[in-house]
Amino acid sequence: MAADRPVKARPPRGGRAPRSARRAATGRALRPWLLLAPALTVLAVLLFWPLARVVLLSFQDYGLRQINTGESNYTGLDNYRDILGDSFLWKTVLPNTVFFAGACVGLTLVVGTLVALLLQRLGRVWRVICSTVIMMAWAMPAVTGTYVWIWIFDPLDGVVSGGLDGLGLIEPRETNWFTDRWSFYAIATLNVVHHGFPFVAITLYAALLTIPRELPEAAVCDGAGPWQRFWLITVPTIRPAFAVVTILSIIWDFKVFAQIYLMPGGAGANEDVLNLGVWSYIQSFSRNEYGTGSAIAVLLTLLLLAITVVYVRALSREKDEP
Amino acid sequence: MTRRTSTAGRIGIAAAVAALLVFTLFPVYWMISSAFDPDADHRGSEVLPAGFTLDHFRQVLNEGEFTRYLANSALVGLGTVLLSGLLALFAAVAVARFRFRMRTKVLVMILVVQMVPLEALVIPLFLQMRDLELLNSLIGLTIVYLAFSLPFAVWTLRGFVAAVPSEVEEAAYLDGCGWWRMFRSVLLPLVAPGLVATSIFAFITAWNEFIFAFVFMQDDSKYTAAVGLHRFFGQYSTDWGAVMAGSTLITLPVLIFFVLVQRRLAGGLASGAIR
Repeated sequence: MAADRPVKARPPRGGRAPRSARRAATGRALRPWLLLAPALTVLAVLLFWPLARVVLLSFQDYGLRQINTGESNYTGLDNYRDILGDSFLWKTVLPNTVFFAGACVGLTLVVGTLVALLLQRLGRVWRVICSTVIMMAWAMPAVTGTYVWIWIFDPLDGVVSGGLDGLGLIEPRETNWFTDRWSFYAIATLNVVHHGFPFVAITLYAALLTIPRELPEAAVCDGAGPWQRFWLITVPTIRPAFAVVTILSIIWDFKVFAQIYLMPGGAGANEDVLNLGVWSYIQSFSRNEYGTGSAIAVLLTLLLLAITVVYVRALSREKDEP
Repeated sequence: MTRRTSTAGRIGIAAAVAALLVFTLFPVYWMISSAFDPDADHRGSEVLPAGFTLDHFRQVLNEGEFTRYLANSALVGLGTVLLSGLLALFAAVAVARFRFRMRTKVLVMILVVQMVPLEALVIPLFLQMRDLELLNSLIGLTIVYLAFSLPFAVWTLRGFVAAVPSEVEEAAYLDGCGWWRMFRSVLLPLVAPGLVATSIFAFITAWNEFIFAFVFMQDDSKYTAAVGLHRFFGQYSTDWGAVMAGSTLITLPVLIFFVLVQRRLAGGLASGAIR
């Protein structure tokens, strides 16, 4: 952080003549914008315009006809009235989304923090082994990870049903965990936590490394017990990083799509297990009701927007730092 | 960090390490061992595979056009890496090295943009790409992934650029370098580790992405690997050996990447997230 001193505008070299000095000043003022221009253009075209467009679409009855002709068909708040008046949203989709995300975030953070603290206590060799293994969990793409978990819990030949059958705990071929809403989401949670905790663990471990070695030693000299050292040194050090990974996990876990969609029944066959993301997809691409789908997408975005405000607040302390 | 630890404490740590290793590695092990298991479909709870065969891989690569899907994924990933690295580096230099009006606004914007749920943009982007006739093209997909990886790349690289002491730059100026020369010979080599971290992140974003590839690519010769794998997934019965072989093929490059560069990656992500 010490290197992050504010950079003053450089004095123009050889700028004795006022005109060339002025031109150099304009050039300097323009240069950051020239550097930013390509990135900002991409973001404007591919993020901001679509964001505006999804809002516009959410106020329309946009179906196959509109897709083909490209004309607009505004119906005001009809889509929102339909969705918000639908008990399906309140009884199934919203609880699925919120409770699932809550469970995933909570478990991801708990596991991630414990693993970070564990890494801190390990010797060099085991630390390298553990962090390599964590990287492997992280590396597994969401799609293939989902397939592996489906295979593990496969009702016919999966390892879990095979094992429980071997122990005589379940009747083989009669237990299908993917049809029940709770067990479906339990498997999805396992999948998301397995994929998500490495980021938390690695980030928090990096934060733990910033504790100067003298600090715990000094605390020991002053007679602080392990518990006090944890609360007075470790917790304050990792708190900013913890805020960041919390909010990021919330955002990632609210909009989970592939991990649900690819599970058996998750693509719409089993309506009990839809979450906001999958519901929006099915309304638009399976039922060709792009307006309704957009309205659901807007709801999801608004939900996350509320959380984003918290994120920016958490980081605003570091905002002034370049 | 190891202090005098009691025996109980050491046992506790050993148990925690064992639990971590099992939880983390089991799915990876199960995927790879099923991919080589000749009797994968009826494996049940056999911890060791029934034998060793490459049949599943042969089947996936020959019958399923999976080689083409992997090549498509690699092309899209490389395109995303090159474009996002270039654009992000320019933008990062702008926000880390220059003071200009609205600088803070741009920074906050880049931060907030990362929070946009991209899944919510499938519908408008689908319509947009359709109008541009880029729906079935790898270029269209690359452009979309570029937009996804850019904010994170800018944010991470910003930290790396800011960490280069400005004295180093000033020394280059004193030696008579112009700005461009300084950028190329001084700044670029120094932020290379950050560039590696963001490149890997961009590649993996593109390689793993599912929903956009699933919606955009309707012609099955243009499928990416993540979408192509879906085809082995039967509605009523699934050829698990083949699905696991395909999964292994998709996972392996990412896995090797992650393990090889783990230090740098962790450092890069951490500095991006914490700074």
